Amino acid sequence: MLSKLLKYEIKATARIFLPLMAVLLVFAGVNKLISSLSQNQWQAPEIISLILYITILVGILVMTLVVMIQRFYKNLLTDEGYLMFTLPVKVWKQITSKLVVAMMWTIVSGIAALVSIFIIAYDKIFTEQFMGAFKGSYIFEYFNLTTAIFILEFLLLCLVSMASNVLIIYASIALGHLFNRHRILASIGAFIVLSTASQILFTVVGYAFGSMYSSVNISSIQDFQAFASLVHSSMWFFIIFFGLLSAGYFALTNYILSRRLNLE
Amino acid sequence: MSTILECKGVTKAFGDKEALSDVNMNIDQGRIIGLLGPNGSGKTTLIKLANDLLTPTSGEIRIAGMKPGIETKKLVSYLPEKTYLNDWMRVHQIIELFMDFYKDFKPEKAYDMLKRLNINPNDRLKFMSKGTKEKVQLILVMSREAKLYLLDEPIGGVDPAARDYILETIITNYKEDATVVISTHLISDIEKILDHVVFINNGRVVLSSSADEIRNEKGKSVDALFREVFKC
Amino acid sequence: MPWDFKSDRPIYTQLIEQIELMIFSDTYPPGSRLPPVRDMAQEAAVNPNTMQRALSKLEEDGLIVTHRTSGRSVTEDENMIKKAKNKLAIDQITEFLEKMRKLGFDREEVLSIITSMSEEMKI
Repeated sequence: MLSKLLKYEIKATARIFLPLMAVLLVFAGVNKLISSLSQNQWQAPEIISLILYITILVGILVMTLVVMIQRFYKNLLTDEGYLMFTLPVKVWKQITSKLVVAMMWTIVSGIAALVSIFIIAYDKIFTEQFMGAFKGSYIFEYFNLTTAIFILEFLLLCLVSMASNVLIIYASIALGHLFNRHRILASIGAFIVLSTASQILFTVVGYAFGSMYSSVNISSIQDFQAFASLVHSSMWFFIIFFGLLSAGYFALTNYILSRRLNLE
Repeated sequence: MSTILECKGVTKAFGDKEALSDVNMNIDQGRIIGLLGPNGSGKTTLIKLANDLLTPTSGEIRIAGMKPGIETKKLVSYLPEKTYLNDWMRVHQIIELFMDFYKDFKPEKAYDMLKRLNINPNDRLKFMSKGTKEKVQLILVMSREAKLYLLDEPIGGVDPAARDYILETIITNYKEDATVVISTHLISDIEKILDHVVFINNGRVVLSSSADEIRNEKGKSVDALFREVFKC
Repeated sequence: MPWDFKSDRPIYTQLIEQIELMIFSDTYPPGSRLPPVRDMAQEAAVNPNTMQRALSKLEEDGLIVTHRTSGRSVTEDENMIKKAKNKLAIDQITEFLEKMRKLGFDREEVLSIITSMSEEMKI
């Protein structure tokens, strides 16, 4: 059932995102073309196309946020909710499908943005110099298992914190739904409360964590073992923190939509 | 004959207002029931409770002996008063969705009914009139072979010719072990097909009787009795 | 065939009357097969349960028989049909005469009205 929900969620959102990304990449290409024609001189057509490109880029990033909110609210908490909540599917699957697809588009938009920037910035000579510098740097000296693990931990951290960012929005919308009137206002209020609370929590727990490690002495950056273990534990601290936060928001949203649903 | 829908002391309050107060009801399999009452009497609340769209404040509601949940949603086919379909889809896509999620959905039936009503499966829901959308919703609901059909105002916004077709569809699609609950305030149109009626007002059951018994004992149509009971 | 029912009398009773009428008028001749309950209910635009009950009653009364494998049909017993038809006629006439009596007509007046109407309507 979850895969079916994902299918429909992707279908519903791809209609908006795929054209947008196509436009972004086309405009990146257009920009590139214009700039290569004008030979490094800033003239009207180049400026216009650059402005258009940046508008679209920003637009996509904004759209990702807007669509994320709108999909959750419109599809689950307005008239369409009558369809969604009478499907024989558990509520947590509904939330998960929205979450997964929202994260997917965030990542894809990010990649599309990078690709478009790359298209614009692509300059043969510059790229060769960059790649040469990259190869000759220190980074590869230390590229071993530990570094690979760091990178994986970092990616995991990105995912978990992205999830918590999406879920805090869902939880805010769900909390707003509890009110009979001024639901949007209530959702915004809930968001403020939740983010403030989580930031306070983060500071408190982070401080406690930090004080645990104050005893660790790092004589120099060459003391790799100690440094590595510090980075590892920091990573895992953040991962677990955001993981628990995500779980909390998820549970709250799930509870509200299962037991306190009240569609108009 | 087993009970398909049971309400025991069901109360639903929104804040300090009770939409349903201590409702007791037993509906058997294989019946067509009219849930009749004026606007705001609690009919829709009761139906939402049966669909797990609301949780009772107190009391119990059971579908085929089970609490409302995933298993009951598989048995219940619900037609809400609203149009709930995703605007961006075409008719055949929503049919595919129903096929995906409901094992008891029969697409052949749906396509057949669409043809009868001259609705093109390729049309986008967004561009349909309200009446056509409502017909599509009804077709989707009646194409499921459910045990309990909950129809909330199925003939409300529909023209008289379509109304006849809808009633005909309800009669023909209905199986002996299925129950149809029709909630409406347009009684004269449907009363001939009702086995049993429940009058509900201000969240309470006011009357529960077989339709023919009302005609026999009171010498009135159900519609006439309704107007009498709910006189303003 | 459109079936017309009043909502202020039990549908069940009206269904029985209608079907009897169709049997007596040879719309459903003796021994003929009746359509399935569902189809009859759809045609009449009534609840299949009610149609079922009406048919069961008619079966009880002997006007309809159920075959185990092939559904329902009108009885082949023409005497039974005739008896039921007569009973209906007697009921109607009894009711009519009662009414005439209440209106103050005597037998001769009633008979003369009947005769003249009969000529006019050619029955």
